[in-house]
Amino acid sequence: MLFDTTQLALERAIEGAGRRHEALAANLANANTPGYQRVDVDFHGTLASAVGRGEEAREALHAVSFSPARDASAGAVRADGSTVDVDAESAKLAANALEHQAAVQVAHARIGILKAAMGTGA
Amino acid sequence: MSLFGGLEISASALTAERLRMDVVAENLANAQTTRGAGGQPYRRKEVVLQERAGSFGASLSAAMGQQRGGGVEVAGVVDDPTPLKQVYDPGHPDADENGYVAMPNVDTVTEMVDLIGAQRAYEANVTAMQAAKQMFARTLELLR
Repeated sequence: MLFDTTQLALERAIEGAGRRHEALAANLANANTPGYQRVDVDFHGTLASAVGRGEEAREALHAVSFSPARDASAGAVRADGSTVDVDAESAKLAANALEHQAAVQVAHARIGILKAAMGTGA
Repeated sequence: MSLFGGLEISASALTAERLRMDVVAENLANAQTTRGAGGQPYRRKEVVLQERAGSFGASLSAAMGQQRGGGVEVAGVVDDPTPLKQVYDPGHPDADENGYVAMPNVDTVTEMVDLIGAQRAYEANVTAMQAAKQMFARTLELLR
């Protein structure tokens, strides 16, 4: 098999970071919406449980779906009941972008190794 | 593609925050207007924001590869019902029999604070857009 589970997990991580970016962007977009409850995507947890399936990891990774969920644990940070802290969301957004970049770079390097093995460059 | 959704969400916030800035400008411009709509003194306007309709359900279905939503939208621009300011100015053409003029309920300090709030929120969303753009560009690097 050309692409192993690690490569597949990396691809899904890139997708998960994209989904998480959407959720965090939605939080920032609603920074001034009264009573808004922040959403988040726990793609780490989803991927970890899929990878932990051992032999079935490949199928589990293919079936993984990243769904945004309301963050009920977040307390209100504003008088209007909103749970969006703009600074915290911005920090999460920046961290998520870096995680995305890391996953892309590792995936890119692994593709480079394959290319080298095939004698087509890199 | 997931990252274009992120751009669209941030864009909805830029529209909403820009409208807030426009309304602040309108309030400041009319801070002394005694003859507004219907001959009444101008009333301060306020923007009501809401989460874009059904965005949570929409993002859930987006997660399953269907139509996406999310973001923010303007629910409406409403008049501030607080009482108008009564200013004693007998020479004013709109003064009542006791010499009082009803002035708009616009407080310049409140407007400036709202303006700064809207501006900062705008910047935060621009940053989110730049992050989305960079993430997308980096994903394209996989092709090289």
